[in-house]
Amino acid sequence: MTSPPPAIQRLPGEAGIWVLVLGDMCVFGLFFGVFTYFQGLNPELYSQSQATLNTHYGAVNTLLLLLSSWLVVVAVDGLREGHNIRAAKFLISAFLCGAGFCVIKVIEYSEKISSGIGITTNEFFMYYYVLTGLHFLHVLIGMAVLIYLAGKTRRELSDKDIQVFESGAIFWHMVDLLWIVIFPLLYLVN
Amino acid sequence: MNSKSQLFCAWCGIGFLLLFTAGWWFLARFLPPPAPSLDAAEVAAIYQQHTGGIRFGLVLAMIAAALTAPWVAVIAIQLRRIEGNTPALAYTMLVAGAVGVLVLLLPTLLWTTAAFRPERGADLVMLLNDLGWLLFVMTFSPFFIQNLVIGLAILGDKGAEPVFPRWLGYFNIWVAILFVPGGLVTFFKTGPFAWNGLLAFWLPLVVFFIWFLIMFAALLSAIRQQSGTTASSAV
Repeated sequence: MTSPPPAIQRLPGEAGIWVLVLGDMCVFGLFFGVFTYFQGLNPELYSQSQATLNTHYGAVNTLLLLLSSWLVVVAVDGLREGHNIRAAKFLISAFLCGAGFCVIKVIEYSEKISSGIGITTNEFFMYYYVLTGLHFLHVLIGMAVLIYLAGKTRRELSDKDIQVFESGAIFWHMVDLLWIVIFPLLYLVN
Repeated sequence: MNSKSQLFCAWCGIGFLLLFTAGWWFLARFLPPPAPSLDAAEVAAIYQQHTGGIRFGLVLAMIAAALTAPWVAVIAIQLRRIEGNTPALAYTMLVAGAVGVLVLLLPTLLWTTAAFRPERGADLVMLLNDLGWLLFVMTFSPFFIQNLVIGLAILGDKGAEPVFPRWLGYFNIWVAILFVPGGLVTFFKTGPFAWNGLLAFWLPLVVFFIWFLIMFAALLSAIRQQSGTTASSAV
């Protein structure tokens, strides 16, 4: 973002990562569409169930992911200028934000389960568990990618390697973006 | 040349699609699936009314399932080319793929058992029907591993002329993730995550089908590339 603009407009990352990212977003889009459709059929059930969710957890998690996305941006910027050690620190910090997200999510799940609310409680909670659960899986995959990238910084990096970092960063931004849709959809919007 | 046997294996994947579609879909009429919300009498009635079609269709589906064995093998061969002497991902893919063959094969036998004596107690027919459908739709884990390691192997290709295009690696990871909702069918009898639901069944099914076609095209060009390089190195 702070590096000088390249002479030729180019897609960040490698082209292939967009197959995964756009494909995944289409699928989540379908999930969101199905959710919104059934919400429209039974709005009362959805808003009553939604009222039992803890928006503080959701909000803190939103901040954690936004922060981690920013950390990844700074890390990749640093790499382009050869600051590998600093980039590794930022990537690990982003990983820790992801870990924090997971801890909060697990606390949230266990509170729900201990108060007797499970995936079969009603339609809303079915979507709640499935959407947040699938997103959770993405967070775990993304964290594995961040750790892999942090390890990669120990070597001398070619332009191709930088592309791999950009691709990983794009995936992590998608994880963030999906949460930014899931959070209002499940926790806030009626 | 060995490219001929590889081409044969790749075509077996297409054979699977055609034969499975003919048997499982058109003859047994298992598409759309019988709803998990049906009661025992309704399930038994399906097996009593379509006994002949189900029996014959499932014989074809059973044969089709075995055609995925050569298909898995040829993918493993191509992954081995990427990995060279330590083909850990290729072997993982081979083992997971072999389990996948069983996941396609065994449900045909469970449904067949239901159709074998359709006059038996409706509860028992429903039990066999449940077993077949749960095994068929819910068992996403071997396919998840299979597609994941295909993806990882492709992305790890450091060769000057990669065996597969890199986007195919990302595509396989995407497919792997898409199979995950299948695991949810244990919780639901209706809705999008039931075994006949949009997101647990239809979406993975369609993507599975498309995955076969895309992998088929990619395999053909990988095999062609391989025979080209071996021919030129032999000269």
